[in-house]
Amino acid sequence: MAAKMYVLDPPSSASSESDLEESQPEFSEVFPDIELDAGRGGNLFNSPTSPTNIPHYPRPPSTGSQKSPRSRRQRTTSLNQVTPAAESIIRTPQRAIYTAGRPPWYNSVGQKVEPFVIGICGGSASGKTTVAQKIIESLGVPWVTLLSMDSFYKVLNEKQHDTADRNEYNFDHPDAFDFDLLLTTLQKLKQGRKVEVPIYNFVTHSREARTKTMYGANVIIFEGILTFHHPKVTEMLDMKVFVDTDADVRLARRLKRDINQRGRDLEGVLKQYINMVQPSFNHYIAPLMSHADIIVPRGGENEVAIQLIVQHVQSQLQLRGLKLREELAQAFASNKQPRPDSIKLLPTTPQIRGLHTFIRNKETSRDEFIFYSKRLIRLVIEYTLSLMSFVDKTVDTPQGVVYHGKKTATNKICGVSILRAGETMEQSVCDVCKDIRIGKILIQTNLQSGEPELYYLRLPKDIKDYKVILMDATVATGAAAMMAIRVLLDHDVLETNILIVSLLMAESGVQSIAYAFPKVQIVTTAIDPEINDKFYVLPGIGNFGDRYFGTEPSVS
Amino acid sequence: MDNHDIQINYNFNNEYCKKYKSLCVLDSNDQIKELQTILRDKNTSRSDFKFYSDRLIRLVIEDSLNQLPFTDCKVVTPTGATYDGLKYKSGNCGVSIVRSGESMEQGLRDCCRSIRIGKILVESDADTHEARVVYARFPEDISQRHVLLMYPIMSTGNTVSKAVNVLKEHGVREECVILSNLFCTPQAVQTVLDSYPKMKILTSEVHPVAPNHFGQRYFGTD
Repeated sequence: MAAKMYVLDPPSSASSESDLEESQPEFSEVFPDIELDAGRGGNLFNSPTSPTNIPHYPRPPSTGSQKSPRSRRQRTTSLNQVTPAAESIIRTPQRAIYTAGRPPWYNSVGQKVEPFVIGICGGSASGKTTVAQKIIESLGVPWVTLLSMDSFYKVLNEKQHDTADRNEYNFDHPDAFDFDLLLTTLQKLKQGRKVEVPIYNFVTHSREARTKTMYGANVIIFEGILTFHHPKVTEMLDMKVFVDTDADVRLARRLKRDINQRGRDLEGVLKQYINMVQPSFNHYIAPLMSHADIIVPRGGENEVAIQLIVQHVQSQLQLRGLKLREELAQAFASNKQPRPDSIKLLPTTPQIRGLHTFIRNKETSRDEFIFYSKRLIRLVIEYTLSLMSFVDKTVDTPQGVVYHGKKTATNKICGVSILRAGETMEQSVCDVCKDIRIGKILIQTNLQSGEPELYYLRLPKDIKDYKVILMDATVATGAAAMMAIRVLLDHDVLETNILIVSLLMAESGVQSIAYAFPKVQIVTTAIDPEINDKFYVLPGIGNFGDRYFGTEPSVS
Repeated sequence: MDNHDIQINYNFNNEYCKKYKSLCVLDSNDQIKELQTILRDKNTSRSDFKFYSDRLIRLVIEDSLNQLPFTDCKVVTPTGATYDGLKYKSGNCGVSIVRSGESMEQGLRDCCRSIRIGKILVESDADTHEARVVYARFPEDISQRHVLLMYPIMSTGNTVSKAVNVLKEHGVREECVILSNLFCTPQAVQTVLDSYPKMKILTSEVHPVAPNHFGQRYFGTD
């Protein structure tokens, strides 16, 4: 199950508030109509080649009248069948698709690359989700966010609630949606920021206390019956797709779905369709077709149309995409620049050089390596704390005189370690700051592409109010550090409140970070001049994490 | 001492560094100042007192080690490149002055795991107020070693003078003695360095008032 979430919310991006385990119940609610779609989508979820699995959002509530929507939502059986193994890399003839980690969503100067937003509009039961799924499948983009209009139904008051119970509330009318919230959510997503998407409860017609955390992505797909209704929303869409399915087909699907799966009677479904669904479609939805860039007749069956869409999106993405690490390694290789003020290098005392001699020497045993790196880490952490802001403080002393001293002005300091090597620095931070909170970010280098990918994220809830000591033992190109900084910024941490701390950095990495994030303070004990073609620092330490944790590959 | 205020810009540190070449004051920053403030504050709880003392001690010890002799050395890193580093010479030892000096032993152990540590007990005579050595136990070959003498608070300098004297009696050369200290008074610096000009003093602060409650608070015997 976890593997299936990758498209919507990879474990990497996993929200700061919720765990995978926690998300699971919520996740099952998110797959209400799976049988219908799986059937139509040509055995989608049983296909071993299916690269990604698209989470479903609650479908439009079929205009009221669900007898027991709650129980329906809990039906998740078909989902748990054969899943394509939780493999994170899927190879297609053209390329590898990574479904596990989040690759960079910003360019080499740390600026976010705007995601490509696809809007999918169409009548109820026209096959919008199927089209979305097929696009995601063929697109092969590692990180896609699927946003559904259903999350933005308005909270009903008591009177409206009663109307809904009598099946007379029109859920297909534009007034049923909270377009303001929808607009701000989409704007934030487009900026790559973290958003809390409401979870609409179709029983109580209110928003649940929980929310779903989503992040901006390379591609955002926004689907719903009225996606082109609000002009400002429409403006944000890079591509507008209208799924035009014959009214007879849509009615047939609705009948099948409502009667077979929701236990409703033919008369009721028809009455509702004629009174609300049909008129709303004619008045509000059908006219939106004129906004569309592409009209897809017959919905998900239309392979040619979907291929055209995919080709266009891919070419657009290539224009925006960037080879991050390679570019970073080269960016500052040729032109030597003076080091910016944001770089705080510890004074190179004999002790620091002596400690470096131990940890850089390849002959050093692990026991000594750990001991001397810990000493160096302690020094760099103490130095980092001296860079915080302080205020004057006067105290009384037991000797009876007044002493004019200092006091830290920031009580809210938290550590965030970049796994794995950054974790080695956690102990020191805890030794020096009592009760400090520690967040973690797992970023791994993709061996094929050499690019960093975000796998896991766990941060204190109110991290935006904190000074953040971001820890990584070594910084070479700066790609992982920049990704971590970007994550913090996306969580609304102020750039001035971030300090990136490491034992050793390469000149080019330092320059890249300083250039991309001029207000981030960079603290290190040594800066080495070069990076080799494997992106290791020269002369360097080697793989710090491997040496510290004893996981070096055996020498052949 | 009277309850008068001591000026913020009391610049003993710089003044004394110039006057005494072998006095070395830890590069002060706001962070170190904060640690000093907490240790001086009479309202600091004992657990905080010990916690922040240990932090300051660690910094002072790390800096004291900079005073020890070393030689250049080249090492090969795992990437195959060469790093121009340095290697500390062996033949050092620590000596703590009982009791408060013992608070600094752990800090030294945390930096040098197997260093030898000697002890000196100096007591002042109840009648004459004169310091005298009651107990001393050193590594056998101390005369060949550099000695890191540990004593956190120095207000008169008498105790330290006595201790250095004992070390010299055991054959330690004066220039091989480095005093690791947290707080000292100008008077103490003067007393010690006038008698033993070749030894080094490393401290975090020179201030007319020494926080004499240190040992009591640290060991909880107040």
